[in-house]
Order: sequence, then C-alpha cells, then structure tokens
Amino acid sequence: MSGRQRRTFVVFGFTTTHAALAAEQLLKDLGVPVTPIPSPKSLGGALCGIALRLDPVDAARAEILLERVELAVAARGEIEDV
Amino acid sequence: MPGPTPRPVAYLDHGATSWPKPQQVVDAVVRALTDLGGNPGRGAYAMALDASRAIFEARRTCAELLGVPDSRDLLFQPGCTAGCNLMLKGVLKPGDRVVVGSMEHNAVARPLEHLARLGVEVVVVNADSTGLVDPDDVERQVRAAPARAVVCQHASNLTGTVQLIGDLADIAHEHGALMLVDGAQGAGHLDIDISALGADAYATSGHKGMLGPQGVGLLYLAPDLDAQTQIEGGTGGGGSESPDMPPERPDRYEAGTANTPGVVGLGAAAAFVAAEGPEQRRREAELTRRLHEGILEIEGFHVLGPPPGVPRVPIVSAVHDRVDADRIAFALDRTYGIAARAGLHCAPWAHRTIGTIDCGAIRFGVGWSNSEEHVELALRALQEIVSS
Repeated sequence: MSGRQRRTFVVFGFTTTHAALAAEQLLKDLGVPVTPIPSPKSLGGALCGIALRLDPVDAARAEILLERVELAVAARGEIEDV
Repeated sequence: MPGPTPRPVAYLDHGATSWPKPQQVVDAVVRALTDLGGNPGRGAYAMALDASRAIFEARRTCAELLGVPDSRDLLFQPGCTAGCNLMLKGVLKPGDRVVVGSMEHNAVARPLEHLARLGVEVVVVNADSTGLVDPDDVERQVRAAPARAVVCQHASNLTGTVQLIGDLADIAHEHGALMLVDGAQGAGHLDIDISALGADAYATSGHKGMLGPQGVGLLYLAPDLDAQTQIEGGTGGGGSESPDMPPERPDRYEAGTANTPGVVGLGAAAAFVAAEGPEQRRREAELTRRLHEGILEIEGFHVLGPPPGVPRVPIVSAVHDRVDADRIAFALDRTYGIAARAGLHCAPWAHRTIGTIDCGAIRFGVGWSNSEEHVELALRALQEIVSS
C-alpha cells in the first residue's frame, strides 16, 4: 500500500446519472477538479450510483456553479479517502 | 453455405431504413461494442463511466440537432413506434377525445385503435387527395368539443406530404389541447427545431433520415408533460429502494439497460446529419424531384401526393394503370438490382385516404447515399418493366 494519507473530501450526490455527468462536465469545463465515484451509502439511497468527489476548498464554488444552471445537488456529504 | 446476397445496385428504400450508414456511425457502433462494454448508469468504474458518458454525449448531440433545449427531455426509445406508444398511451385516458389526421402510420393508428377500445374517443380528420391535413378541418373538430390532443405525423411515409405542424400546434394550444407528433419521416430529412415547432411530444426514428442504427429512436416530451410510464424497471441505482419509477428524466422513461451501441451510433449519426444536413437535404430534394417528374413522364404511372414543386420529404410513391406494384418491385430487384418497396407500407389509413388501399403502391425513398445514376437507372427500369 502507498503511504498516501487519508483526508476529507466533499461528495455531491445526484438523482440521475445524466445529472451527475452533466455536473462533472460543467465543473471540469470551469476548472473545478472532480472525480466520479460510486455513491457512498452515507448520502442516502435515493441517489444515482455515481457521485462526484471534490476537494473541500472547491465545494462551495462548485455548488454555486451548479445552482446557476439548475443542476441541483441532491445530497452533500463528506468521506475520508486517499 | 450460400454466399451473401449481392448488395443492391441502387438502394431506394430510405423511407424504410437508411442504407448504407455513414462510416462514422459504423465506427461508433464498433467502438461501443469493443470499448464501451460496461453497463451505462450501473457502475462508477472506468468502463461503465465511459459508456454512461457516451450516452450522455449522444443525447446532447441529438438534442442540439433537433432543437431540444434540455437534453433530459429527449428520451432514447427502442424505436419511433415505442416512442409513439409512450406519447399516446402515456397521455390519453379513457374519456379523452383526440383529433388525428387520416395519413397516420400504424405506429399511431394501432395504438389509437387500442385506446379507442379502452374508451378514448378518436376523431379522424380526412386529409385531401395530396395527403395534406387541412388545419381548418382540425380546428373545426377541436372547436366542436374539448380535445385532449391533436395527433399528426410530420411527414407521410406514403406520399411524402409535409404536414403543417406549426399551424396544427397553434390550433391545439389555442383550444387547450396537446400537440403530439410522429416524426418518423421528418427528422434528418427536414430542418427541425422542436421548440419552435410547438410539439408537446415528438417521436422519431433513429434509423431513417437520422441515419443511425436500427433499434433506437427518440421521444421528446415537453418539460411539463407528465406521461404515464409504459415500462417500469431498473434505472441504475437512483432510488432503487422505491417501488415507483423515479420522477426525474431521462431515467423515468428509460428503464432497463440502454442499447449502448444503438445510442452511440445514433449520436454519431446526429453529428453527421448536423454537419452534412443542409447540403444533404438539397441533394435529396433535387433527386426526389427528378424521380417524381421522370415517373410522371412514363405512360400509365400516377405519383401519389403533392405535385412537383410542393415540398415533400424524399419519398415518391406511384401506381401504374396496368402493372401491379408488387410485380414492379420484384422486377426492380431481380432484374435491375434496385431496392424499393411495394405494398401498403404499414399505412392502411393513408392508402385508404389516397384511394390505393386495394392496390398498394411502389415506393421509392431517396436518401443521403443516392446519386443521379441511381435515379436514372430506376427511371429506365420502370419504363422497361411497364413496356414489356
């Protein structure tokens, strides 16, 4: 195993794969790094299977950008990951 | 084992399905089968994500081509027939009244006949001898009693007639009705902006004028139109615990694993049509007009639908005074290698309207792959067949 340290990420959940991918594309186009991950159970079961993982410093800006195009983040949580 | 059937010298059945497909479409389908093996929307591992992204992009490309502002409102369906079934059975309920033109294909006619047996009142407005549904006739019917919807094709698969959908939509909306359109012969052959057209629902094929693979079609549903789902099932994790289909589009109307090769192929086809469309439509119109006028010059032939000079999609159907349509189609195929379709074209309502229900017609569907040589060959062949 690598020696990378675990740290906290913000996770956005969406109701459809389409919404998750639209959000991924928009945020990447605007220079916000995101990583698609399997939706963590902690976000709740009413979400699609893909969530977006972000650095916490980008989360607030990302949420504002998505709201502007009416791409609602259905759930927001945090995970510990490497 | 016998060898493959020889390919036609002239393929003139684009009204049934386009052939060949642009190489980009073939490449996209192969790529989907080769590299996009994961189940779209069913996982966050790299290959499933690639499949999900390919479908996402295909939807956006199709939406852009057809003038759909929010691609979530454009649904992938197994075909135009499935789309027509959803827009009709999902919207019309027993006790509703629907006004429909008489040129409809069975993709609309049969669901409506089914709904009529369940208690939907179906009022059929006769088209004129060219296949055109007069908006004034439709207006008289929607004035006479409240209607839930006006239903009309965008273009006839028999006569090529282009219906006045904008006018019909205005009439429908003025009287509180929905405008539901079967665009099987429209998309790809006509410059379509669904938003501007005023359709509340617009179903279309993916494999005719759109040039995509068979087995995939599109249905636009206006954002505020809540159609009852016709198929329930898995949607990839969103609200999996719920016994009900999710309210969000496109998942609400796309239960089950997507036809990824078909959808990705359709996306490539839409990109091709977007790039080539205006020139392609101009060329198709020229060839169609030459074919139309050439057939009229052969003794005994009558061409169905509007006269030359009146806009039509690239379909020319004809009947001959002495030679039956099926004999003509057989001779075209066996003697000349020309693919064209005889019969009723799954459109008995239209044939009844035009007066050809007892004899059928020989139909030529011109498309992107046709040339002047194909048209001239067909005209020479027709002349020889009816002279022999």
